[in-house]
Amino acid sequence: MDNTLITILLAAGILLVIAVLMALILGWANIAFHVPTDPKITAVTEILPGANCGGCGFVGCAEYAEAVVKGKAPATLCGPGGQDTANKIAETLGLSLGETWPFKAVVHCAATREQRLKQTPYYGEQTCAAANLVPGIQGCVYGCLGYGDCQDVCEYGAIDMVDGLAVIDVDKCTGCRACEKACPRGIITMIPFKTEEVLVVTCSNKDKGVLVKDVCTVGCIGCSACTKPSDGLIEMINDLPVVNYDKDSSGIDLHKSVEKCPRESLVFIGLHKDKKKPKGEPERIEANFATTIDQTEWRG
Amino acid sequence: MDTIISLFLIFIGAALINNFVLHYFVGICPFIGVSRRVDMAFGMGCAVTFVIAIAATLSWTLTFYILRPDAPLSAWLWKALGGNPGITVDLSILSYIAYIFVIASSVQFVEMYVKKFFPALHRSFGIFLPLITTNCAILFACLEIMKNLQGGDQLWGLHHALALSVGGGIGFTIAIVIMAGLREELELCDVPKALKGPGIALLVAGILAMAFMGFTGVDRGVADAIRTLTHN
Amino acid sequence: MASSSPSPAERFIAGILPENPIYRQMLGMCPTLAVTNSLKPALTMAIATTFVLLCANISISLIRPLLKPHLRILVFTLTIAAFVTIADRLLAAYLYEMSKQLGPYVPLIIVNCIIISRCEACASKQPLPHAIADAIGMGIGFTLALASLGFVRELLGMGSLFGHQVLPSSWPNWGILVLPPGAFLTLGALLGAVNAWTARRKARQLSN
Repeated sequence: MDNTLITILLAAGILLVIAVLMALILGWANIAFHVPTDPKITAVTEILPGANCGGCGFVGCAEYAEAVVKGKAPATLCGPGGQDTANKIAETLGLSLGETWPFKAVVHCAATREQRLKQTPYYGEQTCAAANLVPGIQGCVYGCLGYGDCQDVCEYGAIDMVDGLAVIDVDKCTGCRACEKACPRGIITMIPFKTEEVLVVTCSNKDKGVLVKDVCTVGCIGCSACTKPSDGLIEMINDLPVVNYDKDSSGIDLHKSVEKCPRESLVFIGLHKDKKKPKGEPERIEANFATTIDQTEWRG
Repeated sequence: MDTIISLFLIFIGAALINNFVLHYFVGICPFIGVSRRVDMAFGMGCAVTFVIAIAATLSWTLTFYILRPDAPLSAWLWKALGGNPGITVDLSILSYIAYIFVIASSVQFVEMYVKKFFPALHRSFGIFLPLITTNCAILFACLEIMKNLQGGDQLWGLHHALALSVGGGIGFTIAIVIMAGLREELELCDVPKALKGPGIALLVAGILAMAFMGFTGVDRGVADAIRTLTHN
Repeated sequence: MASSSPSPAERFIAGILPENPIYRQMLGMCPTLAVTNSLKPALTMAIATTFVLLCANISISLIRPLLKPHLRILVFTLTIAAFVTIADRLLAAYLYEMSKQLGPYVPLIIVNCIIISRCEACASKQPLPHAIADAIGMGIGFTLALASLGFVRELLGMGSLFGHQVLPSSWPNWGILVLPPGAFLTLGALLGAVNAWTARRKARQLSN
């Protein structure tokens, strides 16, 4: 035979043999090592580009898919896939999950700087991340620090620092989770806005009432007064009321729970500014959650 | 003794002096991407070391018996097919495709295996495995092995290949874990807005690379020391 | 980022700056850092990568109806590997010195994230003209990025451009820029500069 022909045959043959070998091994392994997984996760993984670039902040496409399916991440994080991918994921999960709601960030703390007691002077790096490392910077180890890390990362200008407290404009919030990640104390969480107004617990202090009164003038004392009229929607966990957002709240008058609260730790946050607070809401809190405050005016 | 010293030199060279990441710039993507937390960085490093050793073994075997010039198996096939006996068979043109094939398949296989039999291990570092297919470090190790099997007086054995690959994997782990530690601290610093994220990470990596340049010459020194010790 | 169906011209422009593979997407860092200690290898590398990117995008776009979702990445990688082998042999045949100098970084084009990501994001979904425009745009973006790095490093590190001395001999060569750490430092600084520039431009656009 001709030398060139033999070389081509040899090259093609060897590659073919390697390919067949690998295909056999992988095919066998696929059956032998089969582990059942959630079909939804598989479906989302297949929609994702599979480049495993890590741009979404997760380690690979599969892990991101899992997070999306479990509701821990929004469907819009995939940069390489872009809008198409996000739409497809939403479509896939929408069919299986039913209705979807916008998730918005809320701050679980309502204490302005003066209302947080036992503060020590701090002259270090003016960021929450650094201040959080200083023990005893303020009495409450759960509450807002007020250095505005969340404000810095918010690309939509939805966060204002008002009197040393982060206040989120839910109309501007897109639910990108940047602030949730930035907050070193983890007091910003994402909440599904199923209705125009959503009940939010504005305290994160897990201590007993006596200790809370010691460090804060507005924090939750864990009296559980709000749980009774709520028909099981609000539960006390670690001395804090926790609102179960998965439960259907229609037919339950949550305003009663808010009225019962002796400490102003339960508020309604509404999607639209004109539809403000229900009656009985303390006037001061309303001012805190108003959204048109001029930053410069407040900062002096 | 000389073999052990040469293995040691290859190992130290790959791990520290010519660190895969900081000297050869392979595996930069995970180095910048997955270096925000130390535990994740360590998981990534372990996964890379594991896969690089497997890929090196496979690609050494493939190269030594089939792909290098005048490899035994392909020479035999050449003769069997009636090729001109005066010509040296050289199938190294196939090597890139063959390597990438071997790497992709072995990563896939390892992932399935670990997922089935070591679920705990899979949870901690199995998630990094698919990322590794497109990790330059693995292919780079294969290419270095190929370079040392192209002829010349001393062809690398499997032990040399393993020393290089495991050394490179450990070097990658060291670099990425140090980087992650630095970046955890960086989170607390007031970085200029334009440099936030990858920008400052690259500058820090530059300083780290300068520090690693300090290892230059360590291999010779240690080898000399071992030689003097064994001669006395 | 990638909207539903931009025209070939938009894809072409996108690759050059708005979605520049190095400065915007941080993809394909390995050759960017490794071969940019002077302009000549940087440009050779960029051209080789563009060649592979173009060929890969064309072939992927042509076989796009045949792609199976779970095998696509493997198909991409093998296609790219084949073209890289061609590029490698071409370099070895016509630019032997350069091929020696680039060493293992030519075969490492195979695992360059830019190419896989373009195959995935564009070529496997778009018709041929889009894929070609995208590849050339991205290739030019990559070339510009590599050239800027190589320019800074060669000029400040050796006082020369393309091997010709341009700065006066009194210039103290910043040797560190030619060494590996210099790659990280230069790219970090340039990245900062590009970010600052785009931020300022955006702010100006908003104020207008």
